[in-house]
Amino acid sequence: MSTTDSAVTTGVSQKGLSAGAVGVLGAVVIGVSTIAPAYTLTASLGPTVAEVGTQVPAIILVGFIPMLLTAFGYRELNRVIPDSGTSFTWGVRAFGPWIGWMTGWGLVAATVIVLSNLAGIAVEFLFLLISQVTGNASIADLAFNPFINVGVCLLFMLGATLVSYRDMQTTQKFQYILVGFQVLVLLVFAIAAIVRAVQGDAPDPTAFSWSWFNPFEVSSFSAFAAGLSLSIFIFWGWDVVLTMNEETKDPAKTPGRAAMVTVIVVVSLYLLLSIGLVMFAGVGTGALGLANEDISANVFFALSDPVLGPLAFLVSLAVLSSSAASLQSTAVGPARTLLAMGYYGALPKKFARVSPRFFTPGYATIVSAVVASAFYAVMRLVSENVLTDTILSLGMMICFYYGLTAFACVWYFRKQWFDSARSFFFTFLFPLVGGGILAVLFVTTLVDSMDPAYGSGSSIGGVGLVFVLGVTIIVVGVVIMIWNAIRRPAFFRGETLGMDAPPSLRRRR
Amino acid sequence: MTGAIVVGYTATDAGADAAALGARLARSLDAAVHLVMVLPSEGTRSPIVPPERAYEDHLRTQARQWLSDAVEALPPQLTRSAHVRFAESFAEGLVAAGEEFGARLIVIGTAGGGIFGRHRLGSVATELLHSSTIPVALAPAGLSGEDDHVVPRVTVAVGTRPGAETLLDEAAAFAADASTDLRLVSLVPFDMPPGLDTGAIRLATGSHAHDVLARAAEMLPDGLGAVVEEAPGESVEDAVSNLSWLPGEIVLVGSSRLAQPRRLFLGSTAAKMLHELPVPMIVVPRTRAEAGAQ
Repeated sequence: MSTTDSAVTTGVSQKGLSAGAVGVLGAVVIGVSTIAPAYTLTASLGPTVAEVGTQVPAIILVGFIPMLLTAFGYRELNRVIPDSGTSFTWGVRAFGPWIGWMTGWGLVAATVIVLSNLAGIAVEFLFLLISQVTGNASIADLAFNPFINVGVCLLFMLGATLVSYRDMQTTQKFQYILVGFQVLVLLVFAIAAIVRAVQGDAPDPTAFSWSWFNPFEVSSFSAFAAGLSLSIFIFWGWDVVLTMNEETKDPAKTPGRAAMVTVIVVVSLYLLLSIGLVMFAGVGTGALGLANEDISANVFFALSDPVLGPLAFLVSLAVLSSSAASLQSTAVGPARTLLAMGYYGALPKKFARVSPRFFTPGYATIVSAVVASAFYAVMRLVSENVLTDTILSLGMMICFYYGLTAFACVWYFRKQWFDSARSFFFTFLFPLVGGGILAVLFVTTLVDSMDPAYGSGSSIGGVGLVFVLGVTIIVVGVVIMIWNAIRRPAFFRGETLGMDAPPSLRRRR
Repeated sequence: MTGAIVVGYTATDAGADAAALGARLARSLDAAVHLVMVLPSEGTRSPIVPPERAYEDHLRTQARQWLSDAVEALPPQLTRSAHVRFAESFAEGLVAAGEEFGARLIVIGTAGGGIFGRHRLGSVATELLHSSTIPVALAPAGLSGEDDHVVPRVTVAVGTRPGAETLLDEAAAFAADASTDLRLVSLVPFDMPPGLDTGAIRLATGSHAHDVLARAAEMLPDGLGAVVEEAPGESVEDAVSNLSWLPGEIVLVGSSRLAQPRRLFLGSTAAKMLHELPVPMIVVPRTRAEAGAQ
């Protein structure tokens, strides 16, 4: 065995390295595609307005703070422990197998939920687009027939799974055009809304006020927390830009610059659009009001026609392409985390299987797609408003695993906190504050969501559906973890992936 | 030792076919076998999937595992080694590896789904056949399940156009290194204007093929046993199916005139032959590449 082992060489082709390296523009495209502003905003603007009213711009800006603080922690961990398992692996290294397992579970659950929500939004816009192009309004209503909806959604999932499984190539130019198109359409959409509102040609023209940027005018802490956990969702995915290191052309500069550009692009879009749509449609519950439960889960769907008239199909196209791109880039995350969990023995070995033809995490990709499809189908039947409830529970799950990851960073580097001013801020203070905010948000949302009126108002046994969802996901995770601990004890004894804390660099000198 | 053979390996049936053919050719030609697995470099596939070096490392470990298993399965008397390479495409990585090892031949499997035992080209094979600077051997699907043979005879399909010299040289070298007979085959009809009646085609192509083979036989070095055979038929496919084959035989064909100098381009005749051939086919560039020379 040893003779043949040594016969296998792993030369690194010099060509491959430079070809794979990402520049600033490439990284911004990755960032914007992963965040998918057109999709995230149509899905989250309504629920956010329902919570905080006109203070959406303030919440968007404040929501970026925990995201930024946590992303610093991500970057530090990714620098020291680059691993496909990301949050899972880091959680295990810092806190041991049990908490680490749950961190990985949180990541997988959050991505599976977002996959189902993405596909749900894509289905609605597909029908809207067809109806806009053909001029037949009744086609858009087909999207709300549960059987057609679930059927088409499953087809979408199937398509996205095939693309990820076969690792199909799309050209760089095509993706750049898609991202450019998305940004441009959103700009036009926002400006048109503002112009119409100013001209008074709007359903509920609301005068702009700078006080919208004041976070202290949010009515209650619960509303503030709910709004924040939603606005964490809209920045979700931004951290990938910051954590790309060796993969970029200039690891010292590219990730920082790209992260900056991405955030400026995305925040400007979000602010402009949220201000524009609030000015145009108001925050009431009228027919087109942003807080109207019938439209809030997918506000662009209802507002693109009144704002843009005959050009509304552009918005449908932008959201569709943005969801499609995001389906692809988002599906990679849970598959790789599941692969790492299988590799370290935290899940059955099958999950670590790599497709011998396409070199993708084949088994893990298929499992996450199947679970996301099943989740969507069940939710469609149980919930009165599947999109709203999935987005709210998603915000909760993101707080859960991001928070754990931030604390993992703090704890993992505990011996290096005071090595330098830099490590004090980036491995201790920033992730600690970020994780703290996320933990508070998680607990507040969890407590508030027990109220059956929370979210879409769906409830099971007198308890809000969002709470039931969040708790069920965590409890199912614990059950699967215990089952794995019985079947595969090696990982849980720390034999495959141990706890660690890098020693202080100062003492050694 | 006469040169090296690079096998484009994947842990699939097609990869097993390629490894089996590589081993068979290496044994006949007394060449070293390099199993090469080409992995996609991170960040070159989809421009919106964030590249991750860690996943690349994971793939590398997995690929090494697959390769050690595959090397283990090769006949132990061969000089064998295995390599992992990263490239934007499988074909590009294979050609680079072929040049790195000074390979005289690149061996790949063909996609399943064709009629059993026949060739069907996958995307990798297609790309390779249209860009390689080194002769490419195609293993028909299911070859790894066959009994192993040494190459009993080398067949070369000749045409009249310039470039036949390289093909004949290559074929003669193969036959000499494998100490086997060479069979020269001319497929008829070749390049007949459409609308000509069948009788006239027979007549014209019959004499044409005769000339081709005679001229080709003259070009061969002395002392090499060469059989000359004409393969008549209504079409290329028909002509190929009328030929008889020994178990383990290989057939060499030349690259198309459309190819860039020293690169392969699978011509239409060769493509038609491929559908009918039950034996491995080797496509040879029209002019010899420096790296491919022995």
